[in-house]
Amino acid sequence: MKGYRKYFLNKLLWFLITFVCAFLLNFILPRLMPGDPVAAIVSRLAQGMSNTTGVQAIYQQYADLFGTNKPMVEQFFIYVRNVFRGDFGFSFAQYPRTVADVIKSSIVWTAALQFPAIIVGWLIGNTLGALAAYLKGGFDKVLMPVSIFVSNFPPFGMAVILMVIFGVSLKWFPTSGGYGFDLIPSFSWSFIWSVIVHYQLPFWSIVLIAIGGQAIGMRSMSIYELNADYVKYSRFMGIKDRKIVGYVFRNAMLPQITGLALSIGTMVGGALVAEIIFSYPGLGSTILTAVRGGDYPLISATTLIITIMVLIANFVIEISYGFIDPRIKAAQSD
Amino acid sequence: MSNPVMLEVKGLTTKYITRFREDVYAVDHVSLKVEEGKSLGIAGESGCGKSTLALSLMGYYFPPLHYTSGEIIIDGRNISRMDPDDIRRDILGTEISYIPQSAMNALNPTQKIISFIEDVVQAHEPSRTKKDIHDLARKSFEVLGLPAEVLQKYPVELSGGMKQRTVIATSVILSPKVLIADEPSSALDVTSQKMVIKMLKNLLEHGFTKSMIFITHELPLLYNVTDDIMVMYAGQIVEKGTAQEAVFDPLHPYSKGLMGSIIVPEYGLRDVELTAIPGVPPNLKNPPAGCRFAERCKYVRAECEANPVPLHDVGGGRAYRCILSERELRDFYTREAHMREAHQNAG
Amino acid sequence: MKHTFQQFFRSGKFVFGFSIFVAILLLTFIYPLIIPDPPLEIVAQGTFFEPGIYVSVYDSLGTTPHTLNLDGAAAKRIASKLNEEDRLAMKEWLVAAGIPENEIDTADTQKLLDLWMDNYDPTENIPGMTNARRNYFIRLNNSLKGLLSTEGAIIAEVNPETGTLEQVDVITQTDYVNINQVANVRVLPFGTDNFGRDVLTELVAATRVSLVIGFVSGTIATLIGLTLGLLAGYIGGVVDDIIMFFTNLFTVIPSFVLLILISFSIGQEQRGAVTIAVVIGLTSWFWTARAVRAQVISLRNRDHVNLSKLSGHSIVHIIITDILPYIASYVIMALILQISAGILAEAQLSILGLGPRTTVVPTLGLMMNWALIYQAQILGKWWAYLPVLVTIALITFSMNLMNTGLDQVFNPALRE
Repeated sequence: MKGYRKYFLNKLLWFLITFVCAFLLNFILPRLMPGDPVAAIVSRLAQGMSNTTGVQAIYQQYADLFGTNKPMVEQFFIYVRNVFRGDFGFSFAQYPRTVADVIKSSIVWTAALQFPAIIVGWLIGNTLGALAAYLKGGFDKVLMPVSIFVSNFPPFGMAVILMVIFGVSLKWFPTSGGYGFDLIPSFSWSFIWSVIVHYQLPFWSIVLIAIGGQAIGMRSMSIYELNADYVKYSRFMGIKDRKIVGYVFRNAMLPQITGLALSIGTMVGGALVAEIIFSYPGLGSTILTAVRGGDYPLISATTLIITIMVLIANFVIEISYGFIDPRIKAAQSD
Repeated sequence: MSNPVMLEVKGLTTKYITRFREDVYAVDHVSLKVEEGKSLGIAGESGCGKSTLALSLMGYYFPPLHYTSGEIIIDGRNISRMDPDDIRRDILGTEISYIPQSAMNALNPTQKIISFIEDVVQAHEPSRTKKDIHDLARKSFEVLGLPAEVLQKYPVELSGGMKQRTVIATSVILSPKVLIADEPSSALDVTSQKMVIKMLKNLLEHGFTKSMIFITHELPLLYNVTDDIMVMYAGQIVEKGTAQEAVFDPLHPYSKGLMGSIIVPEYGLRDVELTAIPGVPPNLKNPPAGCRFAERCKYVRAECEANPVPLHDVGGGRAYRCILSERELRDFYTREAHMREAHQNAG
Repeated sequence: MKHTFQQFFRSGKFVFGFSIFVAILLLTFIYPLIIPDPPLEIVAQGTFFEPGIYVSVYDSLGTTPHTLNLDGAAAKRIASKLNEEDRLAMKEWLVAAGIPENEIDTADTQKLLDLWMDNYDPTENIPGMTNARRNYFIRLNNSLKGLLSTEGAIIAEVNPETGTLEQVDVITQTDYVNINQVANVRVLPFGTDNFGRDVLTELVAATRVSLVIGFVSGTIATLIGLTLGLLAGYIGGVVDDIIMFFTNLFTVIPSFVLLILISFSIGQEQRGAVTIAVVIGLTSWFWTARAVRAQVISLRNRDHVNLSKLSGHSIVHIIITDILPYIASYVIMALILQISAGILAEAQLSILGLGPRTTVVPTLGLMMNWALIYQAQILGKWWAYLPVLVTIALITFSMNLMNTGLDQVFNPALRE
């Protein structure tokens, strides 16, 4: 267990470092660009929002909150303090709602949609890939071209195709939103049913994309492992195939877990765009409205939140990997 | 009265079927015999079929390797017509065992050594308890000079030499009648090589295996370890004899070439590998009709390339595959030796 | 090096992928030579014209008519005018009037019409039918009669002196124009988009721009990744630690988020296609750096490299002559991946509204964005989004095929 603790602490340290760096980047990147945020805000104010008192309020509040006329370092500490209080200021486009409020209402949708979908896609994809490697023949010949085709489709393309087939043509599922537009969020059956129905298309489009890539990866990993020396040796020692297949898939799966940790950021990026296609009320749609409204505080906060979510997911995968791969506990134990 | 025969192989032929459905006969009518307490060395360049022979001797085939004909008899039991599942359960690991070419990756990386040994033993004797197996493993490891802690480790935690020795100990855990070692030391540093070789010698002495076949391209090793030596070329046996005979009095021009290179006094025995003959072995997809060595042979004649050359039995366990008589060959070799001497004296 | 490139073509998959890719590339060069229209020119007034051949009605009138007596022309004309709703209504009335349902086939226009003409009686009172419904049937009947008419259409002109209409010409139902004699015909294979632009012309231009974005971003990412990977792998030590720190950092921080942040901060006005490509390249080099480093480390202690070191060659010399040739195939594979990733990244950014400035050039992402904003997918205007999706999929597919092919050539262990 000592080995695992070391591994865990190592990963935790790395998580904190990346967290700080992500935070810094989120603060610095927009300020490095030509036309700093304040200038951008002023120009957008000049372009005219009809609600003049609102504009004034935002401008005042923003200047106070972020200390925009103070030096960069001071601004940064003000920013840190605000973020830890959960205070991201007002949303430009949705005044008088605060950024925190906007994000709070959308983050649940994204988290509940994306992470289950990615995990389900990962599980199905790996199972199919392993089966393709082991069964070969017809199953492999059908599955592989399909997987390659699916994984070459951009995530938003998959979303559009599913929507056209199952939403527009067959009318099995609604084409947009997170729940019926005529319903008010509550714990009634009709609302929950509506949420479940609206969940299907975005969910499966993310799942399908994940399946394709994972199946291909797992298949080649498994083929590689099936040809490994230890398989041959185990056979020649008379060990049964069923047991050997157990070794192989366990070993092939391990790199797939690390692979998931590395690619989860990219997957979330694609899934955010898929959310937009379905006007799902998650962070993807929040970014879209923020972009359209030139809503700088909202963009900045949303990207930060997404980064943190990905970092946490990554961290969770890494520490669970430590439990699954026995070598981690052993390797550093002396 | 000679010892009981542990392994007898008669006319074994196996082939690879390539992706393009071509047959490649990598082992072609090989016959051999190993008695209890004896070891047989198999030598040859890489690609001559010696590793394939090692695989073929197990009697268990999986693609792309396929059985064609011949018989394998282990301690009087013919396994060449046995059902593959039965072979796996009753023969592999218990009657005949195998040490793979590279032990580096021969162990499942995510399994402790002891757990793998449990799997091996329980595949053949499902009723044995874990405690029983642990005792057995500890005892074997102790006798073979391996620390018992190794059992509780993962392969990544072991050095290359230790991994190889662990594999050897695992291969003989059920005291097989025949042990086939396929270049067990080729990937190791010199010190580890020495330890591995010492261990292999010990196996027969301590009765961990009743007989052994040792395959390598390093001739000096064979001479030191084995009783008999067989030289393979292009899937066929070209020379058979005792270690002494094969190294110091080879008959076939190919063996002569191989051995000749190591007896030249300037070279240390240890450092010479079997690469000293110009040319490469023939492509076994389309082997030559006549003698397979003809292309590279100094003494080649027109009739060499006409018909397949049979293995010529000299008696007393010696045999060679050449159309020239023993006498003709020896004359050639003596003449050459004289010439070399004369040349050296002149220089 | 030349030998390496020749090896590529030994793989069937590579050749197949390469052919698709070259075909797309050639199309983007050849098409503008044939149809030199500016891609963003608005040709149609209205949104989403269906794909087809558009023939000028005015010019058709001016051409000499040819008389063709074709069987079934009338039936076809009627069939195209009678929509599904009318057919079902006719069936409804006929069933109500006592005709057995199995005798009515709404798909067979001629039979349906015969049945209707034989049985329909406006005076017949069907129980339970509202007045409005009855009037609908009367109107339907009248329009059917009009359809069945065999008279031609009259063309009239205003007489400037009397101010009355005077018949100039009659177009009979058997008059045909030869399309080659009509001065103005426009083929719109993929119809028009929401702004009334020719989708195909736009698509070809967009593909070219997207490919440029892919190449620019891919090249930048590969160059940065290659340089850093070589330095980290070959020099090792502190340099390696620093480079790997940043590589690992950018691997976990989602590059898509960085892209959003940077593109948004640059602002709409500054965002050209090349700017976007550069930004994408700058945020996606770390995969390449990782892969190159791993390869270099495995090469670093090979004999030929050591020999070169002993011979006193400089680091640059060693890298160029002893390392680069060995990793060339990996670098090319990484470049191919980066190109397709760049095209995809642009598309995703554009859907978010953070793509290149919209008025200058189209990109595949922008076209997708426009189609989505105007809800082409819900309105069933497949020609506005499907060709775009298929193009993106074809590009990534061809590139992946090339990569798989290369992988098979260079990593024979993965064969099968």
